[in-house]
Amino acid sequence: MGRTPSLSSDTAADDPLGSLLAHPALWRGRSLARTDTHSTGYPTLDEALPGGGWPANGLSEILSLHPGLGELRLLMPLLVRFGQQPSARWVAWIAPPFEPYAPALAGAGVPLERQLVVRTDEPLWALEQAIESGACATVLGWLKSRPGEALQRSLRRLQLAAQRQRTPVFLFREVAAAQCASPAELRLELHFRVGGARLQLLKSRGGRRGAFDIEWSVASGALHGTP
Amino acid sequence: MARRERAASVRRAFSAPGFEPASSATAPSSATAPSSVDARRRAAQQARAIADLPPVLDSLFDEVLESWLALQLPPSQATPEMLGRLGTLAYRYTSRVSLEADAVLLEVQGSVRLFGGLQALCAQLLERCRAAGLEPRWALAPTPLAALVLARAGRNIMVRARDRLMGELAPLPVESLAWSAETLARLDSLGVRTLGALLRLPRAGFAKRFGKEALLALDRLSGATAEPRRGFLPREHFHLRSEPTFELISQAAILQHVAPLLDQLEQFLRTRQCGVDLLKLRLAHRAGRFTRLDVRLAAADVSAERFATVLSEQLARLALPAAVIDCELRSGVLQPFIAHSDSLWRPAEHGGAIGRESPALIERLRARLGSEAVYGLCLVPQHRPEIAWRVAEPALDAPSPCTAEALYHVSTLRRPLWLLRQPAALPCAVSALHWIAGPERIETGWWDGQDVARDYYVVREPRGAELWVYRERLPPHTWWWHGVFG
Repeated sequence: MGRTPSLSSDTAADDPLGSLLAHPALWRGRSLARTDTHSTGYPTLDEALPGGGWPANGLSEILSLHPGLGELRLLMPLLVRFGQQPSARWVAWIAPPFEPYAPALAGAGVPLERQLVVRTDEPLWALEQAIESGACATVLGWLKSRPGEALQRSLRRLQLAAQRQRTPVFLFREVAAAQCASPAELRLELHFRVGGARLQLLKSRGGRRGAFDIEWSVASGALHGTP
Repeated sequence: MARRERAASVRRAFSAPGFEPASSATAPSSATAPSSVDARRRAAQQARAIADLPPVLDSLFDEVLESWLALQLPPSQATPEMLGRLGTLAYRYTSRVSLEADAVLLEVQGSVRLFGGLQALCAQLLERCRAAGLEPRWALAPTPLAALVLARAGRNIMVRARDRLMGELAPLPVESLAWSAETLARLDSLGVRTLGALLRLPRAGFAKRFGKEALLALDRLSGATAEPRRGFLPREHFHLRSEPTFELISQAAILQHVAPLLDQLEQFLRTRQCGVDLLKLRLAHRAGRFTRLDVRLAAADVSAERFATVLSEQLARLALPAAVIDCELRSGVLQPFIAHSDSLWRPAEHGGAIGRESPALIERLRARLGSEAVYGLCLVPQHRPEIAWRVAEPALDAPSPCTAEALYHVSTLRRPLWLLRQPAALPCAVSALHWIAGPERIETGWWDGQDVARDYYVVREPRGAELWVYRERLPPHTWWWHGVFG
C-alpha cells in the first residue's frame, strides 16, 4: 500500500493522511527498502518477507533451538533452483552439524555435484573465503557461539563480502544469538509447530516484524502407520 | 617457388584480423590482464630496448631462410646448469634451440612475425636474459657457426643477409673459430690472421693441408653447406635448490626466499605450456633434519603468484622445528595446461561461467584445513543408509556418477537431510517419542559381512525435532538415532 497515486478529490477529502501518503513525491522507508530477493518457494513466506523472498545479496540468519526443526527444508526450494541455473556454481556447506545426506538431497532434486562440504573449526574464515571467491551460488554456514566471543565484527565483514559478491549467505545460529545485534539483512527465529514451522521475523530491511506459520509439503513416498 | 608461396600463405594466416602478433607475445605471459598504463609503460620500455639494438643488416634481394641467434656466456658463467637455464629461456621463442659448450644457438626466423619483428624479439629475449641475471654476448647471422663466431668475437650485430655476412666476418681473427692451437699456429705461419684471409685460400689446397673437416667448417661458416644441429630438449621435471645466505627463521622469510624459485618454475612451465598440481618443498635444517611440505592444487596451474598464495597458507600452519638453511623445490608431473581468458564480468555474473575461481577456492580451503576437510557428495546404489552415499572429489563440471538405480531409491523413499556419521543413542526415552511414520525394514548386506537388520521409524522428539531412528531386529533390540529431518 501507500505509493499508488490516487489523486481523486473525494479520497483527499475524507482521508487527508492517505492522500498525503499517496503523493508520488513522498517516499516511505518501507518502500525504499526494496532489495533484490530470491523467492523462497513458500508463498506464505514470500508474502511475509520484505521484497518477496530471501535477500539476494547479504546475510540471512536463521535461529533455532536445535537442528531438526526444518531449517534445511526452508531452503530446499532455493537450493533446487540454484541447481538448475545454467552456470554451475557451488553451494557451500560450512561446518554443518551432521552429514548432509546425499540420497535425501538428490531425492529433493538438488544436484549433488554442486555441493561442497567444508569441515572446519573456524567457520568464519571458511565463510569469508567461500563468499569472496565468487565461486558459490550460496553459502550456508553453521555458527556455534562460544561464550565471550564477539561475532559482530566478523559478521559485518561477511555481510560486506556478501554484498560485494552479490551472494545470498545463510547463517544457522542458536536462539541465544537473538540477544546480540547482528548486521544481517534478515533474522528469523524458527519454532516447532505440528506439520510446519512458526517463523518469527526478528529483523528485516524495512522494519517488518511479526510471526507467521508455514506448512511443509509432505515429502513424497512418506510411510504411514505407527508402531 | 613453392617455398615462397608457402611462406606467403603462412604470413597471411598470421595477419588475419584479430591476431596481433606483437601483443599476443606479451599477453599470455601475464596471468592478469595488464592495465593500460602498464601496457603503455611496457611498450615504451620495449621501444627503448629496440632503439639500443644495432640495425639489422638486411638484403633487398636475398630471401632469408634462417636467422641464427647465438647467446654466448662468459667462461665464469658457462656451466651446464646456466646453459640449460638459458636454453629453457630461449625455448620460449623457438623450438629450434641447440646448446654449444659455452653458448646457446636458436633459430628465430620462424618466430619473427609472431613477436612483431626481429628486433622486438631480440630485445625481449635479451631483456629476459638480463632479468634472469645472465649477460650473454650475442650475435645474429644466417648460419649458426657464423653467429657463434661473431658472438665469441663480441660483435653484437644482427646480420640477416648472407651477402653482407662475409664483410662482417672478414676482419675477425681466426682464433674466434675455436680451432685447436696447432691448427691456429699453422695458419699463423701461413700468414693467415683473419677469417677473410682464411676464406680466400684455395679450397683444394686448404683441404689437403688442414683436412676435409676444416673445409666443411668453413663451408658451414659461410652457409655454402647446411649444418644440421642437435636440438635442445628442456627438462621435464623442475628441480631447483637454493641456499639462503642466512638462516631463515620466519615463515615470511621462507616465502620471500622461495619466491624466485616459484618465478623460475613459472617460466619453466610456460615454455612447455604445462602446469603442475603438486609442488614439493623441502626445507633443510641443521643436523640433517628436513621439513617436507607438499603443496597440492585443485587444478594444474602455472602462475607463481597462485603457488605463493597456497604455499603461504600452508606455511602459516607449519611449526618449524629449527631455522632453515636450505630450500629445495620440486615439481610434480607436468600436465598440459590450457590458459583461460579472464572475463570482463565478475564470475557467474551475466550468466558467465566460473573458471579459475572454483579450483582456487578449494585450494585455499584445503591448504588451511587439510584435504579431507573439503569434499563433495556422491550417491552409491545401496540400501544401507550409511553407505548409500560417499565422499567425492569436488568437481563442479563433472556430473556425479549417479546411476538410475540409485536415483530410483532416493526418489521413492523418505530420507532425512542430515545423517549422523555414527548412529547414536536416542536423545530421549523411547516412550517420549511421537511416531510419525514407519517401520521401514532394511535388511541386507549379509554377503559382505556388514549386514544390517533394522526397522526404521520417523519420530518426533519432545522438543519438536523430527528424527530418523531404528531398532535392531536382533536382540537386544537396541534403539539408535541415525538422522535428522532438518
